[in-house]
Amino acid sequence: MRSFIQALSLLLFSIFFVFATYKLPNWLPADIYLRLDPLLGMNAVFAAREIIARALWALVTIGATLFIGRFFCAYVCPTGASIDFLDFLFFRKKKRSGLKVEVSLRRTKYFLLVIFIVAALTGLSLAFLMDPISLLTRFYTFFIYPLAITLINLILDLLRPLFQALGWVTLSHLHYFQSVYYMTAITLLIVGGIVFLNRFVPRFWCRYLCPLGAFLSLISPLGIFKRRVNEDCNECLKCQKACPMGAVTEDPRGTRLPECIQCRTCAKVCPQNAITFPASLSLGGEYSKIDFSRRGFLYSLAGGLGMGFVATQTPFALKQSKHQLLRPPGAIPETEFLRTCIRCGECMKSCLTNTLQPCLWESGFSGLWTPKMDPRLAPCDQNCYVCGKVCPTQAIRSLSLEEKTHAKVGTAVLRKEMCLVWAENKICLICDEICPYNAIVFRPVEGYRRPVVVPSKCNGCGFCEQRCPVKGESAIVVVPNGEIRLKEGSYVKEARKLQLEFKPDPGDDKFILEESGFKVEENKEKSTLPTEKPQPKKPKGFL
Amino acid sequence: MKEEDQTITRRKFLKTAAAGVALGLVGGPSFSFAKEEYDLAVISGEPVAATKKALEAIGGMSRFVRKGQRVVLKPNMSFARTPDFSATTHPLVVATVAQACVEAGAQQVLVLDHTLQRAELCLERTGIPEACKNIPGVHVLALQERKFFGEIKIPQGKVLERVEVMKEIVDSHLLINIPVAKSHSATGVSLGLKGLMGMIWDRESFHSQYNINQAIADLATVIKPQLTILDATRALASGGPGGPGEVKNPNLIIAGIDPVAVDSYGVTVVPWYGQNFKGRQVEHLLIAHQRGLGKIDIDQLKILKEKA
Repeated sequence: MRSFIQALSLLLFSIFFVFATYKLPNWLPADIYLRLDPLLGMNAVFAAREIIARALWALVTIGATLFIGRFFCAYVCPTGASIDFLDFLFFRKKKRSGLKVEVSLRRTKYFLLVIFIVAALTGLSLAFLMDPISLLTRFYTFFIYPLAITLINLILDLLRPLFQALGWVTLSHLHYFQSVYYMTAITLLIVGGIVFLNRFVPRFWCRYLCPLGAFLSLISPLGIFKRRVNEDCNECLKCQKACPMGAVTEDPRGTRLPECIQCRTCAKVCPQNAITFPASLSLGGEYSKIDFSRRGFLYSLAGGLGMGFVATQTPFALKQSKHQLLRPPGAIPETEFLRTCIRCGECMKSCLTNTLQPCLWESGFSGLWTPKMDPRLAPCDQNCYVCGKVCPTQAIRSLSLEEKTHAKVGTAVLRKEMCLVWAENKICLICDEICPYNAIVFRPVEGYRRPVVVPSKCNGCGFCEQRCPVKGESAIVVVPNGEIRLKEGSYVKEARKLQLEFKPDPGDDKFILEESGFKVEENKEKSTLPTEKPQPKKPKGFL
Repeated sequence: MKEEDQTITRRKFLKTAAAGVALGLVGGPSFSFAKEEYDLAVISGEPVAATKKALEAIGGMSRFVRKGQRVVLKPNMSFARTPDFSATTHPLVVATVAQACVEAGAQQVLVLDHTLQRAELCLERTGIPEACKNIPGVHVLALQERKFFGEIKIPQGKVLERVEVMKEIVDSHLLINIPVAKSHSATGVSLGLKGLMGMIWDRESFHSQYNINQAIADLATVIKPQLTILDATRALASGGPGGPGEVKNPNLIIAGIDPVAVDSYGVTVVPWYGQNFKGRQVEHLLIAHQRGLGKIDIDQLKILKEKA
């Protein structure tokens, strides 16, 4: 029963994950698991110092835990489900003697929780490092998802001859877009490590490390379901060995209630059927003390404050307002963005073009795994606005397409010394051809028509940078200069105030021609040789 | 003797009758153009009606398609733009041609392009798969992976020696090019010949490595559509090829076998960037013409102009 609910929850989590694409309907909250996570919610609310509407969903989890107890870990948490499943796969037959230092290890998660909360209060978003939901979403985004696409494409390639022989045209040509992410290996190592820890004890992570589990266990004593052992107990200690959380005390009749996740494994293995989980309103009485020392608390308090301080210092931080990263359109101002972002990777998963990539150290310690745009890899598509839609803390604001179009992320800058037209007099127009906003125009300079960026029309989408045929670095790059980052209010209004125009503007090239004083005589035929250089005063391609 | 006369008379009679019937069949006004062999059919009207009439005018699709053949249609669906931007071929024009191919007995019709933007968005926005979805045997595909392309040699190439083209066009019996009329910031206009660049793998090298106008002509020596149907129902007169730009509405479908002639006529239907041009003034068309790939002077062409 429990395995079934767990599997169902993991499946649900996976389905929501799969749905996070540019086609995501507005009513579907693909980020719901992240919203329900109280640790992420608190982290964002404390760090950003304001109430975040989507984070209020976490109150559902808090309320349910207050009422029922720490059931989340056993039934809902998709990370717990994954750990249980992989445990079953890899370590089922291994002999695990347990750890001698259990009691002190168990405290670790509370210390971590304190560190994260304190760090959040200093304005440093850190809980993402170890929050299970954020962790798993990242793992899905950076590892599972690209791997799945690779495997699907591999299978399609293997079966292609068969499809062709059968005349199945669509399948013969089917190929899925392969997303790539910079931090795949690191993410895999972390999750691999978490799973490997199960080698020592089952659910090592959940027992000793998970800060979300720590928080839920702190609020669970009021829960109505509590383990009870009756007189039939023959002290066979089977329950103690079977408990995945190590919640059964030396005396099997006792329970470390904050550790108990109500999985009822003990009741299942008890040969005497002596264990029940009755609903009772008994408060505290049997509730054993949380393993927490004052010294440990003070240390972790200091640790959190220290982290918060260190994160603002070089080499852990960049100089104020000197960031060089392009953030997704609709990302709130950088300081607030770093505080609010919980690094779940949903935006990067859903990103249509794969331009959103996780940072390693590009924006310092406080910017780990934050999304940045890499326009050389891929542009931001003008019809897609999903990154804000799936952001559980609204570090990227959920915007309408019109608003998103005006959320300028930067401005393209032409590096003339590298440009094929400026530097080598070649006929190249790819940046102009691809620009969705007509922000690149050709102007006659020194006998050639050469590309020029019109900054007031450029919203930094990066199509030009991606498409530039210059090898290596692009001759046209998008820099954050001119970006519009608003915490609230309309981007359209702001763009208008700045006299920016990202609308299609027909006939711009015509305007440029008139400006150059050029008039074509009608019906005047020229029999010029095709090898002759293009005439500067006519549109390119005409003789 | 008598009998012989009679037989002769009967035979004569039968012959005459057969001829009469045949005349009656071909004598209808709708078939008169086929007899006269026009170079181009220029039909004005709504997309579907004009396309149908244009196909009829050049001799009907059965002139090109044999039963059981595989046909490739090459519309322009390279940009994730809706049809009103005029950066892509009108979906109804494509669907009408596809339908005609199927009716003429084509076993399979592949509608192919190598898009510049993400394939699924291009397919979704251009509306071409939507328009073709109910026609049996028609598949609209954007081929974005190198594995779907194969290298061919260009014996007459001036700047290109070889090029990787879609394998499907090598395997198919018939290629019909269905470009949209639009301006192009490097080649002046992007019509049929320029549109063939959507069938190759490495589009970018045309811009960076080679003289694009020569390269287009080179490509036209190996990719030879048997029929070109230029969708000038709308024309992107500036801001091409991707738009946004000035969209004009010539409401024309221009169909012909000679790809240069079709393009050359297409140049004249609207002013580009506010100026009137002729086919000879478009460098890649002139090169193609000079290399014997087609006629460029439209006043020497037999053109059927009609309203649908």
